[in-house]
Amino acid sequence: MPAEPLLSVRDLSMRFGGLLALDAVHFDVAPGEIYGVIGPNGAGKTTLFSCLVGALAPTRGEIRLRGGRIDGLPNHQVVARGLVRTHQIVRPFRDMSVRENVSVGAHFGSGRRRGADAARRVGGILERTGLSTRADAPASTLTIGELKRLEIARALAAEPQALCLDEVMGGLNPSEILEALSLIRSLRDSGLTILMIEHHVHAVVGVSDRILVLNFGQRIAEGPPADVVRDPEVVSAYLGGDDAVPLFPEA
Amino acid sequence: MKRLPAASGLAATAFLLAAPLFLDRGTLNDLWSLSLGVILASAWNLLGGFAGQVSLGYSAFLGIGAYTTVLLSLRGVPPFLTLPLGALLAALFSVAIGLPAFRLRGPYFTIATIGVGEAVRVSAASVAFTGGSSGLRMPSGSFDFTANFYAMAALAIFSVVLAAAVRASAFGTALAAIRQDIDAAESLGVNATRYKLLAHALSAAVVALAGSLYAINFQYIAPGSVFDFRLSLSIVLMPVVGGVGTIAGPVLGALVFSTLQIKLLAIPALRDAYLLLYGGLLILVILYEPGGLVGLLRRLTTRRQATAPEQEVPDAG
Repeated sequence: MPAEPLLSVRDLSMRFGGLLALDAVHFDVAPGEIYGVIGPNGAGKTTLFSCLVGALAPTRGEIRLRGGRIDGLPNHQVVARGLVRTHQIVRPFRDMSVRENVSVGAHFGSGRRRGADAARRVGGILERTGLSTRADAPASTLTIGELKRLEIARALAAEPQALCLDEVMGGLNPSEILEALSLIRSLRDSGLTILMIEHHVHAVVGVSDRILVLNFGQRIAEGPPADVVRDPEVVSAYLGGDDAVPLFPEA
Repeated sequence: MKRLPAASGLAATAFLLAAPLFLDRGTLNDLWSLSLGVILASAWNLLGGFAGQVSLGYSAFLGIGAYTTVLLSLRGVPPFLTLPLGALLAALFSVAIGLPAFRLRGPYFTIATIGVGEAVRVSAASVAFTGGSSGLRMPSGSFDFTANFYAMAALAIFSVVLAAAVRASAFGTALAAIRQDIDAAESLGVNATRYKLLAHALSAAVVALAGSLYAINFQYIAPGSVFDFRLSLSIVLMPVVGGVGTIAGPVLGALVFSTLQIKLLAIPALRDAYLLLYGGLLILVILYEPGGLVGLLRRLTTRRQATAPEQEVPDAG
């Protein structure tokens, strides 16, 4: 672990009435890392992302981005500091074209670009995410694969330092998943730090530097993918049993 | 397709400038009413149409403009000099009610604005300095129809140009994002509260300017006239019937509304029937063409629209 993490989370808890959705979660993410977050349904993964970006105000805990506290800030201020998330259930602006959707990120993200500068940036991102040919199509006409890419494109246009991807591979076919994985790797290679929630465990194991496993809001394991998937507690969380069978035999 | 709005705008400006030279007073009065409708509908559309925040409390802003003008005129200030202060007060008031009300979403926001509008009307009727429920009269010698006509016509053109400028700007993009998905907008860095407050303040100021001119023209105001809930309702009906969230819609809605009202006012038994008629029209719009008259026109010219889309990319800002 390098001395200065990009993102540092301590004692993070989120309570909804009687449900403790996150229970004293802690972790650090290094600059340039791909950090996977996995866990069974209802483990608190999306709640974690909502707390990180300020869409939800955590009940307790501390979130630091490059050393500065961001917990308690509203979502748009967290975006301005360079932490942006995508949505698991895609949320396009349906009356806008693809280009206009991405422009929202360029105008109001940390870059705050206007006019030709914004248009250039948007054009580059559409190119990179393979949406150029659909730039002027209404967002309501996109396929699910294109909508997932639009989520990433809009978030990129907001010029994050760290990008939180919430199941961007859900609903994609195998070749689209390969494309998404290569996009994620190329984003990291260009200096971006990535946090990703993913149900496709094989995909996340293949691409992540480290993985955090949540179960019922608690951190049950963290570390390199190869170690995490052999962890007995992780195996039992996924299979619901006590048998320490490796969950992902040398895939 | 892009030159049509600019050309029709120039034609409207030239017509309104020349109108007092060749039109009779009755027709000029109708044009004055139409201009008032265009201002109220276009201003409401900034928040209600572009940002999707449906307020039923806009008579409050008209009343604030009207009362500011009459109260200051009675203390010797030239009436036209009172306009900026009325606009400023309305903008400040819009922020004061927006801060709590914008925490509410959808119909809850709308219900809150009904409450605010009624509270303002009751307050104005209950305190002494507003003249209570019997209202206030402008000082004599403050009436000048031609000046008022030009001011109202200029404000009508200004409010349409303002709406077009807002929609083409990054500010307009933020409002559109807020309307379509406020949480997604926030997650891309849009400060939704700030832009809703800005749109509210801008439209409140424009409505207050119209309220000041209204007071000067009618020479008499009372809580029952300028703070009337039916007025708030009319301000919503015009853009909705014309085509909410568009530039031309509020203008068309105001045209239909003022025509209906003028025709029906001529028949004493039907003085208030315009609201009934308009309510019926509203139901038809909601059931069959949520895009209003503009949506209907678009549908009739679909083939042309497919080759030259009306919706331009609001990139520049």
